Amino acid sequence: MTTNDRSLFPGALEMMILQTLRREPLHGYALAQIIKSNSGDLLQVEEGSLYPALQRMLKAGWVAADWGVSRRGRKVRIYKITAAGRKQLERKVSSFEQMLEGIARAMKAVRS
Amino acid sequence: MTWKRLSSEIEAHIEEKALDLIESGMPERDAWQKARREFGNATALTESSREVWGWTWLERLWQDIVYARRILTKSVGFTGIAVLSLALGVGANCAMFSLADTMLLRPLPVPRSGDVLSAGFISPQATAQTLRMSYPDYRDLREQSRSFSELAAFNLARVRFAKQLDAPVELRVGAVASGNFFAAMQVQPRLGRFFRPDEDEVPGRDAVMVLSHAFWEQQFGTDPSVLGRKVRVDGIDFTIVGVLAEEFTGADQWVRPDFYLPMMMSPRLGGGIQNPITRRDLRTFNVKGRLKAGVTLEQARAEAAVIGAALAKEYPETNRNYAVEIRSELQQRVEEGGRVPIVLAMMLVLAVAVLLVACANVAGLLTSRASARAREMSLRLAIGAGRGRLVRQLLTESMILALLGGLCGVAVGYGGVQIMKQIQVVADVPVALSFRLDERVLLYSLVAAMGSVFLFGLLPAMRTTRADLTGALRMGNSRSISQSGRPRLWTRNMLVVGQVALSMVLLTVATVMYLTFRRDLLAGPGFRADHVLMTTLDPSLVNYSDAQTRNLYKDLPERARTIPGVRSAALASGVPGGFTFESMAVVPENYEVTEGQRSLNIMGTRIDKNYFATLRVPIVQGRGFAVTDDANSRLVAVVNETAAEQYWPGQNPIGKRTRLGDAGSPWLEIIGVAKTGKYRFLMERPTPFLYIPFAQHPKAQMVLLLESAGDPASLAAPLRDIMRDLDPDLPTFGTRTLQQTFETGAVDPNLLIVQMSAAMGSMGVLLALSGLYGLIAFSVSTRRREIGIRMAVGAHKNNVLGMVLRQGLVLAGTGTVVGLFLSAGTARLLSAAFPSYEYSVVVYLIVVPAAFGVTMLAAFLPALRAAQVNPVLALRQD
Repeated sequence: MTTNDRSLFPGALEMMILQTLRREPLHGYALAQIIKSNSGDLLQVEEGSLYPALQRMLKAGWVAADWGVSRRGRKVRIYKITAAGRKQLERKVSSFEQMLEGIARAMKAVRS
Repeated sequence: MTWKRLSSEIEAHIEEKALDLIESGMPERDAWQKARREFGNATALTESSREVWGWTWLERLWQDIVYARRILTKSVGFTGIAVLSLALGVGANCAMFSLADTMLLRPLPVPRSGDVLSAGFISPQATAQTLRMSYPDYRDLREQSRSFSELAAFNLARVRFAKQLDAPVELRVGAVASGNFFAAMQVQPRLGRFFRPDEDEVPGRDAVMVLSHAFWEQQFGTDPSVLGRKVRVDGIDFTIVGVLAEEFTGADQWVRPDFYLPMMMSPRLGGGIQNPITRRDLRTFNVKGRLKAGVTLEQARAEAAVIGAALAKEYPETNRNYAVEIRSELQQRVEEGGRVPIVLAMMLVLAVAVLLVACANVAGLLTSRASARAREMSLRLAIGAGRGRLVRQLLTESMILALLGGLCGVAVGYGGVQIMKQIQVVADVPVALSFRLDERVLLYSLVAAMGSVFLFGLLPAMRTTRADLTGALRMGNSRSISQSGRPRLWTRNMLVVGQVALSMVLLTVATVMYLTFRRDLLAGPGFRADHVLMTTLDPSLVNYSDAQTRNLYKDLPERARTIPGVRSAALASGVPGGFTFESMAVVPENYEVTEGQRSLNIMGTRIDKNYFATLRVPIVQGRGFAVTDDANSRLVAVVNETAAEQYWPGQNPIGKRTRLGDAGSPWLEIIGVAKTGKYRFLMERPTPFLYIPFAQHPKAQMVLLLESAGDPASLAAPLRDIMRDLDPDLPTFGTRTLQQTFETGAVDPNLLIVQMSAAMGSMGVLLALSGLYGLIAFSVSTRRREIGIRMAVGAHKNNVLGMVLRQGLVLAGTGTVVGLFLSAGTARLLSAAFPSYEYSVVVYLIVVPAAFGVTMLAAFLPALRAAQVNPVLALRQD
């Protein structure tokens, strides 16, 4: 993973995957496409780095995997979010928003 | 999650992306390239995905092992030499550690043996003294000291043992021990029980016995019904109450008593001549104990010092100037060991040197292999393997080598131990030198192997996995003209030079030992060892009075002389080669005794007037003892040349006097000087020695020496008849020829050391030889192209031969020169510890040509091969 100004902090990738899967179960390639298009290319994500992240989340029980068929008829693995995954997402989002608020306040204080 | 599944999932991703790109109009080739590039390192990502599940390290290890096995079996030569080198190095250390273990280091066979301490009273005049205590002092120390959880006393007791009341009597060595002895040792009985606390209180009352396991096996065939049986010891009936476990062979490093009797029975043993438990001046008991929890050695020592001082004040006649000393078991053994610890240390150092040379071999081999595999490594790096992965794999190979080498080394060490088992100890007490490969030795060896390979395998591993990709890939494995080739050869050159130098040091030590041994063997022991039969008597065992003893020793030599074939007979209290000489305290007249000491210690023996003649010990000045030197005449003595030189340098020793004992003891007049001979070991340095007349200083236990016209062993039977006539109850023991005693006691131990150092010297040279050979062979193989070119443009075979030999010459020569300096330094160190050894130029005249010649030989074969190179083939190969 390249580290530059547009790289992610740890946990961000998992958050985005969970959020994306919340809407519908997806296979790896589709997931990568959607995340890319949603972030409007503001973020740099190596496509392949999804896979270790997915394995981690499989292990933690936040997603579950099943076999399905892609648009082209290829056999693929489809990932969907679990109940635990949803809870994890809520927790992560709220702590992220708290962090943002804290930073914003701190920056405001400095500026004024 | 299998690799296959993840891999295919990722493949599917890339495929789908490529297809999308193709659909949007990108040419097929570019689409696939873009898809792969934007995905990232597929292999690495697959691996990290698998890692999440945590079992990958095990799989990797297995992969590494399988791969390593393949690599190692492919290049048998490399593996063979590496394993052999390690085997020699580890084997030498294994064997020497075994030796050190048996002679010095093995802990007592008791739980938490490190806690056991020895205590004793020593006088300030004593130099290295054995720690002994008298029984009353022991009692007082035990009662007054608060530092010890248990303090026990014991002593060896030579007794007459009969298995049943009417069975024949044998002489056996048991031990008397205080009631808390077994508690102090923290051992459990195998059968029955130990002494009860009340059984060691009243002198002479409780005749109970605890058997050692070996004795129980030997005498009673491990019959469990021995408990309660009665046996007869020194005429007293003892009841067997227990049997010890097999592991507990005694609280002494060497001696294994057959059985244990309560201390309180000792007044009744040995005919009750001496009462050892009431006399405060008879310091014969060993005292060992354990400290209480939380008490330090210093605290115990401080307290003991106070108690000792109080006792000295209370009993000035016996305890004046005696202080309590407490030592750990190891300290005790080193103190009592004489030269043994130094010799052992030297042997261990030699073994480490051999290991270093072996490691240099392995390091050189690994480095050569590593650079030969540079291409393979670069390829793997290029397709995405992590550097750590490659290093791990190389290390796995090294570890397997280490394991094989370590195991073979243990086998070599085992062989060495079998050879060492040939040493016997000639003594009249049951001493056992049990050489064995115990777990500590095995652990030591494996650690040595692993450690050295890890150390020497890491460097090449790090080196080759440097990301110098294009260079390695392009040049392949030949490093004929590349710059990066040369520096690497430097390290290997250094290694070989070091090997040659170190092996020279080993050779030097071996040569010094051998020359010394040969010199001393040819010079002879200084007395007549052949044609002499000896036997030991101890009439105190059968309650002889002083008068009876005197008569015995007057009659016996006369009677013995009547045996046909006996030329002469003599008596002595100790003989060379055994442990029988006494340590006597002397104060030579007008001699400056060093500060704090009150007398000197000298080795000595009590002899009769026939001794010098029977053993053919030359008297160089004055005279030996005559019949006129008896109990009523003035006290006389004979010293040897070394003693005379030391005590009265440059003067005539005849007529000079010395005290026997410390200040206040009687003067002895020197009436003769005997030639210095060998007393304890063949290779010992000239040692001062004192002879005093047996008639003036009688002793119960004496050795009878018979000079024979023919075979000395043939005198044994007639001697037995004579003894039976004199007194059928009087036992004799240790009947053997003096030659046997001297050879097994004085010569063989030295011979073993010489053989061991010779073996290590040879190993060192062999290893250096293979190291040099390996390096030159490798260098030739990498220079084939260069050789081919040279030959193609006109170089002759001999030129090539000369070129390679020159390379070998430089290495061998440098190594020899460095080795010469190191050897000279080693010889100096050695002479500090063993000044009487042979250090003449002859040593170097042997060692230098040997080292140089052998290593040059190693360069010959590769040189010949180089000369055979076919230029056409060499140039064609890449």
